[in-house]
Amino acid sequence: MRYAALLTALLLIAVSVTAQDLTRKAAAQKAPVALVHATVHPVSGDVIDDGYVLFDGGRITEVGKSAGKMFAGTVQVIDVTGKHVYPGLIDPNTSLGLLEIGAVRATDDFNEVGGITPEVRAAVAVNPDSTLIPVTRSNGILTVAVLPSGGTIAGRASILRLDGWTWETMAVRADAGLVVRWPLPRPIRARWMDETDEEQMKKARRARHRVREAFERAKAYLAARDADPSTPLDLRWEAMRGVLQGVDGKRQRVFIHAQDYDQIVPAVAFCAEHELKAVIVGGRDAHLCAALLKRHDVGVILNGTFRMPKRNDSDYDEIFTLPARLEAAGVRWCMSSGSRASNVRNLPYAAALAVAYGLDPDVALRAMTLRTAQVLGIDDTLGSLDVGKSATLIVTDGNPLEMTTHVERAWIDGREIDLRNKQTELRDKYREKYRQLGLLPDQG
Amino acid sequence: MKSHAARARNAALLVLLLSLVGASAQEPLRPPANGPKRPDPAWHALVGATVHGAQDDATLLNTTVVLRNGVIVDVTTGPVPAGARVWDCAGLHVYPGLIDAYVEVKTPLPDSKDPGAHWNRRVTPRRRALDGAGLDAKTAQALREMGFCAAVLSPKGGTFRGRAALVSLAKPDKERSSARPPVLRDDVYQAVSFETGRRRDEDTYPNSQMGAIALMRQTLLDADWQALTRLTTNEQGAPNALDALAAGAAAAGPLLFDTRNELEALRAHAVAQEFGRPALLLGSGFEFRRLDAVAEAWKQAIVPLELPERPKVASIGEADAVDLRTLMTWEQAPTNPRRLQARGVLVALTTSKRKERSTFPESLRAAIRHGLDEEQALRMLTRNPAQILGVQDQLGSVERHKRANLVVSDGPLFAKGTKIRDVWIDGRRHEITPPPGASLEGEWTLTLDPPIEDAPRLVIGPKNKITVKSGDAKTKAREVRVVDNRLSFVFDHEPFGDPGVFTMSGVLEGATLHGDGMRSGGERFRWKAERTIEASSKDEEEDADPPPEVPEAYGTPFGPYALDTLPAQETVRIVGATIWTAAGPPIANGELRIVAGKIVYVGERRDEETAADFRVIDASGKFVTPGLIDCHSHTGISGGVNEGTQACTSEVRIGDVTNPDSIGWYRQLAGGVTCVNSLHGSANPIGGQNQINKVRWGVRHPDDMHFEAAPQGIKFALGENVKQSNWGEGHKTRYPQTRMGVETYIRDRFDAARDYATEWKAWDAAGREGLPPRRDLELEALAEVLAGTRLVHCHSYRQDEILMLCRVAGDHGFKIGTFQHVLEGYKVAEVIREHALGGSAFSDWWAYKVEVQDAIPDNGSIMHDVGVVVSFNSDSNELARRLNVEAAKAIKYGGLSPQEAFKFVSLNPAVQLGIADRVGSLEAGKDGDFVIWSGDPLSTFSRCEATWIDGREYFSLEKDRAHRRKIAAGRKRILQKLLAPDPKKKKDEQEDECDEAEQEPKPKARFDLRSLRAAARREHYLDLIRRGFDPDDHRCGSCGVGGAR
Repeated sequence: MRYAALLTALLLIAVSVTAQDLTRKAAAQKAPVALVHATVHPVSGDVIDDGYVLFDGGRITEVGKSAGKMFAGTVQVIDVTGKHVYPGLIDPNTSLGLLEIGAVRATDDFNEVGGITPEVRAAVAVNPDSTLIPVTRSNGILTVAVLPSGGTIAGRASILRLDGWTWETMAVRADAGLVVRWPLPRPIRARWMDETDEEQMKKARRARHRVREAFERAKAYLAARDADPSTPLDLRWEAMRGVLQGVDGKRQRVFIHAQDYDQIVPAVAFCAEHELKAVIVGGRDAHLCAALLKRHDVGVILNGTFRMPKRNDSDYDEIFTLPARLEAAGVRWCMSSGSRASNVRNLPYAAALAVAYGLDPDVALRAMTLRTAQVLGIDDTLGSLDVGKSATLIVTDGNPLEMTTHVERAWIDGREIDLRNKQTELRDKYREKYRQLGLLPDQG
Repeated sequence: MKSHAARARNAALLVLLLSLVGASAQEPLRPPANGPKRPDPAWHALVGATVHGAQDDATLLNTTVVLRNGVIVDVTTGPVPAGARVWDCAGLHVYPGLIDAYVEVKTPLPDSKDPGAHWNRRVTPRRRALDGAGLDAKTAQALREMGFCAAVLSPKGGTFRGRAALVSLAKPDKERSSARPPVLRDDVYQAVSFETGRRRDEDTYPNSQMGAIALMRQTLLDADWQALTRLTTNEQGAPNALDALAAGAAAAGPLLFDTRNELEALRAHAVAQEFGRPALLLGSGFEFRRLDAVAEAWKQAIVPLELPERPKVASIGEADAVDLRTLMTWEQAPTNPRRLQARGVLVALTTSKRKERSTFPESLRAAIRHGLDEEQALRMLTRNPAQILGVQDQLGSVERHKRANLVVSDGPLFAKGTKIRDVWIDGRRHEITPPPGASLEGEWTLTLDPPIEDAPRLVIGPKNKITVKSGDAKTKAREVRVVDNRLSFVFDHEPFGDPGVFTMSGVLEGATLHGDGMRSGGERFRWKAERTIEASSKDEEEDADPPPEVPEAYGTPFGPYALDTLPAQETVRIVGATIWTAAGPPIANGELRIVAGKIVYVGERRDEETAADFRVIDASGKFVTPGLIDCHSHTGISGGVNEGTQACTSEVRIGDVTNPDSIGWYRQLAGGVTCVNSLHGSANPIGGQNQINKVRWGVRHPDDMHFEAAPQGIKFALGENVKQSNWGEGHKTRYPQTRMGVETYIRDRFDAARDYATEWKAWDAAGREGLPPRRDLELEALAEVLAGTRLVHCHSYRQDEILMLCRVAGDHGFKIGTFQHVLEGYKVAEVIREHALGGSAFSDWWAYKVEVQDAIPDNGSIMHDVGVVVSFNSDSNELARRLNVEAAKAIKYGGLSPQEAFKFVSLNPAVQLGIADRVGSLEAGKDGDFVIWSGDPLSTFSRCEATWIDGREYFSLEKDRAHRRKIAAGRKRILQKLLAPDPKKKKDEQEDECDEAEQEPKPKARFDLRSLRAAARREHYLDLIRRGFDPDDHRCGSCGVGGAR
């Protein structure tokens, strides 16, 4: 029996190894590139009709009107007439690279045991050859935050560009902040729940206590270690230096998963008490505590709109209208796809659904680009088409919020990336099968 | 009117007769007496009572009830018979003994190795409730204390649980020669329930509600068939479990269905109807939530009275987390008995099916406060159960010739504070509360001997609190003791002068207390006291809570978005919109006309020939399309989507368990969905029968959602789910465990079905002479597949398995309905095109398990281009709300035209399901099922503005706004009610929510795979909740397997 289990596990590993992305990584930008005659959407400013974007050495060097603009001979000029240029989209809440196949435990690297594991860091376990990565970026998502998600303090998030030979070359920030999963506020009563209300609440109380303890102990440890360097190293509390003391004078973010009013309010209060830089992930009830979130300048990452309303009697479009309501309330929010890994590519449609239910489409775009970069703290290099920022951008044949739009080309740090992926390869392979059978017309 | 003498004569005769019968029936069963015999005259007269529940429900004042030998022999205002023992009941009330028509008792299970036992351990119809230890003494005592004299004992656990008996609740006499409490009626019913197992092992069957119903159906069929066999052939065989269920057998009926909610009540009724069996409803207490349908189905019901716990709403977060249906259920539950009664249902109340039996009277008082008439309440506990159980000749009223079961109370039986004095059962008195001692309440003036100045006074309050007063001084007495008519107490004398403690004792003689006292110095004195001020009459006001205000009407379904009536079928023109018909090119500035639920015209706008009686909807600038059809849904399926225990469960039917209350329906309406294919899950190669529903939100009966014209179908499944690949290490024994075995298994079942069909054909050919073959519902469904009258909808992923089933279908000569998911359909499209009506896929789901690694979003467009009829489905309550933009993915991935892409969610699924003659496109003659969109239906920026089915407007933004206002008002009202002080809450209990320190973890007792798996599953669901998903909503690809139920 035990051998059988082992054998199954080995087989599953063998299977997972086949889940490989075979597309090549892009080479560094060698020459300046200009995308001309495009409708340029800088996000940070007004749309430029018939505009251009010039980038060199991986950075945007100029953005302007195409009319009358001349480029040096060294510039590779790409005419994208009729097309649109946008900054690369950002998903701030994924497990991309930490998960390949949901049902195969061997491919799960986001869920560490222990309950309080601030010491683990997402980037180091990201598989750069995950098949999911090229599929994701083929729809314009070029940057993602990867969050571990086990236990109460799950570990540290990383922010990655979706191209690179190793996780190191992919990392925009290998250490982007701490992930906390705030305990549930009230017992779950469902057929599958095998614990009593009391048991559940006891667990929740303990988990809250453990969060508090972790921060108190980390503070004490850091004080001791700073005062006396011979204090033995503790990887757990050392990992919390960034959120408690900051790096280069800036406190790293604490990403707190919280959906309910009774999670968000205590979580924000806790962060205020400990002077932490909080970001709420989930935020289903954020509209109920908008004033609190604004008072403490807490960002909110919504996990998609493909979710059901809170209660049976809630408005059927409650989740769809939430972004517009948060926007009206002045909360700093941004959008994630709500998918852990395989369908992160559908991020734009999560935002688009909010547009159908009242959100300004420009805000929807910002909530996948500049606003996201601000919430993650990477807006110095990403999120908009501004001079000096990374040349991480996409060329499309329409508004990325529309389902029918295609991402035709993409650059990450000035390197043009291959938008083919396993799925497009399979598509081409089997279209060929039917051409051979005479069931599809020959190409061309 | 007969003279007293004549009545007395009759009574005497009756007693004689009864005692003779009783003696001869009982004597041989009793042992000889231990010691001398102790005859009991058993002749009692309860004199001067107010008698309730007498003949014709009369209430008689100052009446005498005469009991003799266990029987009521007279109810009279005349003289008390000389020989009877007299019980002074002046000021007391006498009621008929209460009857509880349902009390569960543990009953031993039959030996499964007994050749007469049914294969399913839940089918134990031969079991008798009297086989085990019977009712435990504690429960019997609890029942007697509430006034119950008789109860039906019913075996606990199982589907066909066994035979119930009505028994006396008399306390057995210690004397072994005395008569044992009698069984009043045997085989009052056969108890049936929808019990299911929680596990997915084969021997757990059923683990879904539809499985439970299928088991009932097959078992009843088998019982009837066996009875027919025994009748028509010489093959009698040994008696077995099924004999107990043969129609007409004493043990077989009526069938009492134990139900857990109002929908089960309707399903139970359907089963009873199908087999023409007399049946009784054991309700849930929730019947009010679907009152019309329940009251129409059931004329009699035994209902519990467990009231839901008070929702917690005292903080912003708590209040926001409670949903309206929970609030309304809390508010309305006490009205259940009266609402049923008002609809003409004969209701009996039971103290069973509640957390705490002894709080039943409290719940009953709540029901009375909520408008239940007290006389009705009494009837629900006496006459009604007697009638339902068929013992109205013995029980249920205080009438001559009835069994001497009586309740004697000191006030109206259901009033707060009333105490039951005695319960008489079979003519024997069971004392419940001893009569109180003499009341000493009031102010007494003392005369002391030797006398003193300033005669002291005693003020005796409720609960015998005594204050001693003299002049202005006073003190409280201590150590007060009142026994019968005797009183004693001590008091501190200091306030009256000398310090020290005085002791006083006295006896009430007539109206005067006579007593002795002892001073602190030990000197004795005598005293007497006269009452100078009577006790103030009881303060009744505290008791009289004002009757709560509860809305009378609440619409259907119970809860939010309820409709008072179904939307009317309208004669309507929708004009000015761009119409996508899914049959031809788009029509700009078009017109759609609906009359009597059918499309009568679709085309260019034709204002000139308008009849006046059309409602005109100007939809200029908007788009109109056919209603969307979801070819793969698990919305609104009660009690489990999978009968996941056995490898073949073709006997189960999704249509048996339609749940019209699921809010998923309303939300899908708001997304333009009008028709869905409700499918069984994919836990086994051959699953259950599907049900095609129209999203008719607000229908009275669940079955009203069923799309009447739709062909029958069945779910098949292939691959990882059916070979239990992702179920954990505990599931490695059920055949098949490989895709090889899946093929074998399916072929084997079809072979069996072919043989089965042949057997029936032979019987048909022989002129249907003689005994018909046994009906097997499992094989019957598969035989229908072979005959081409039942469409297979097969969950599938990989190309190899798709090809395999196509070959099986080809070999057996039937055409497959659809391949569902069919994520590698693009690899074998040319085969699917030949063997199936189509392929129904997710647009872009992949990578959630090994077999979907090669899923690609171009799957739909490639299959389409090769000639397969393709649809996109949801398999998810959530995704179903936005199928229109799912269709747009066929444009993004594969470049289909918008018109072709839109067919993926309209005409194509209709073709696949065989309903394209009725729905799927906008063409004259088809059903008036359509959607009005704010813009291009394939644009992510568009939203559904109105959804019509059968020419009825089930959803519109305007109607939705009205719903929202009503929901907000309802919530506000009930929340305010809940925030008012709770009369039941003793003090303001503070809930301690302090965070707790970690305790030493308990060492794990042992390695327990099952509990580990349960914990893993729980954590998985909790993780979903944290991420904002509801585990109870089905998700794409889970297909009910691995999802919560």
